[in-house]
Amino acid sequence: MKKKDIVIAGYSETKLAVKTGRTAYDLAGEALASLLASAGIKKSAIDGFAIAMPLSEAPNPFFAPLMCDALGLTPRWLQLGGMGGASTIANVQRAAHAIRDGMCRLAVVMGADAPSTRMAANYGGYRGEFLEPTGIQGPPGMFGLLLNRYASQHELKMEALGKIALTQREHALMNENTLEKFRKPLTMNEYVNSRMVSEPLRLLDSVMFCDGANAVLVTSAEYAKELGLEKVVFPVAYSEVTNFNCDQATPDITLSGFSLVGPEALKKAGMTPKDIRMVHPYDDFTIAVMMTLEQIGFCGTGRGSDFILDTDISYRGTLPLNTGGGQISCGQPGLASGGLNLVEAVRQMFGEAGERQVKDVSNALVTGIGVIAYARNWVVSNVMILEA
Amino acid sequence: MNDIKSARPVPKPNTFVASEPFWEAAQRGQLLMQYCVESEKFQHYPRPVSIYTGSRNLEWRPVSGRGTVYSYTVTRIPAAGFEGKVPYVIATVELEERVRIVVNLLNIAPDKVKIGMPVKLCWERLSETINNPAFEPA
Repeated sequence: MKKKDIVIAGYSETKLAVKTGRTAYDLAGEALASLLASAGIKKSAIDGFAIAMPLSEAPNPFFAPLMCDALGLTPRWLQLGGMGGASTIANVQRAAHAIRDGMCRLAVVMGADAPSTRMAANYGGYRGEFLEPTGIQGPPGMFGLLLNRYASQHELKMEALGKIALTQREHALMNENTLEKFRKPLTMNEYVNSRMVSEPLRLLDSVMFCDGANAVLVTSAEYAKELGLEKVVFPVAYSEVTNFNCDQATPDITLSGFSLVGPEALKKAGMTPKDIRMVHPYDDFTIAVMMTLEQIGFCGTGRGSDFILDTDISYRGTLPLNTGGGQISCGQPGLASGGLNLVEAVRQMFGEAGERQVKDVSNALVTGIGVIAYARNWVVSNVMILEA
Repeated sequence: MNDIKSARPVPKPNTFVASEPFWEAAQRGQLLMQYCVESEKFQHYPRPVSIYTGSRNLEWRPVSGRGTVYSYTVTRIPAAGFEGKVPYVIATVELEERVRIVVNLLNIAPDKVKIGMPVKLCWERLSETINNPAFEPA
């Protein structure tokens, strides 16, 4: 089932910053120009384009074609990703399909968002009528409910969540794109004493909105060679699910879609969790990282705390985790967030991670998460496995 | 005190699906939920179809208002319009009818709330026309 015909052959990323006053379009332009320059390709060679729907431009139903117009692109395949933080790896997979199907040859898969400058999203639907009147504090409130339920069913050690935050901060200090605010080391004491947002969820379990953009170049292995793109990684396996368990009235909410798509993606890659050399899980909250690792199969369900505490998850360790710092420690560029962890995986596999370079980068596992459902777990779970 | 910017959000009936029966019953202090006639199961929040079968053969039926706390969170940083209320408790309550609802848990100190504790329906009047369901210790 493993396929090695499609490659990611380039990446780019802007610095992350708060309240830049810039737009998703402007940030996207910076990411595109940087991608073209680093890959040494002409804009006219781009014939496919995919982008995640940003919070900052949410009311615009024509965002994707207008973004192409702003960037001077004439794609023969265009895709708008509406799966939140799951959009970017989902779009890489959709680009692979489009390339295999002859729709395009060279696709840019991008995320660009500026929610700290302009938050324009309105989730609409039932929320105004049946959820917001409770005063729930958005995603932190929903994850507070999830975290507390997890703690009642399993052994949750606060210092394990703290270790995720501290390790990712250590990584972020070596990442030049990290938010200014996060460019200082974090202690366990600071983590434990950080402000409660929606108890038992702390401020330092959470992300901070910022502005930024990132992009990868997706093409066939064959065309990459023709273009002289020498550094490539292969997205060899991918699985996604939306609305896991949504047709049950009283599901176990501590089980997410990763319990389905994690083992499935590993099977497609012909791997077990022990074969994975580094992980870049989507990290909107520390508990999401722990639950994702458990359910993909790195440890048993409910065993996440001990697994984190017993494993060296630093860039030097046995299972390097979010080696760029992730969203928790670099900042969350709105719904360009799904590209942050992917770009770091590709950067590592290209051997370009500088002082935080992981030694064995023969493969990487990247995940995405999109939105959280009423009284349940998150809505979209997806997994991509990259091979050198 | 209550300027527009910081007013607590008040539900507007019929903004998602036809929910008038829910809010009309709420005015009388009765909690209705959608019931899928074919699978004989409740669902909440109200949907355009049964989440079990995809059918529109749904009825509004009363539920007991008795349940237990499935999970809860103590809000320390308030949502807009809730500034004066912190800390306040939001809970997912599982009703006897095997359906869950996300509500405010009232009349209890945040540090006394326990997952699994029995709770019962109560109401919070948000406007002349909106009586919002909430829960309190049973």
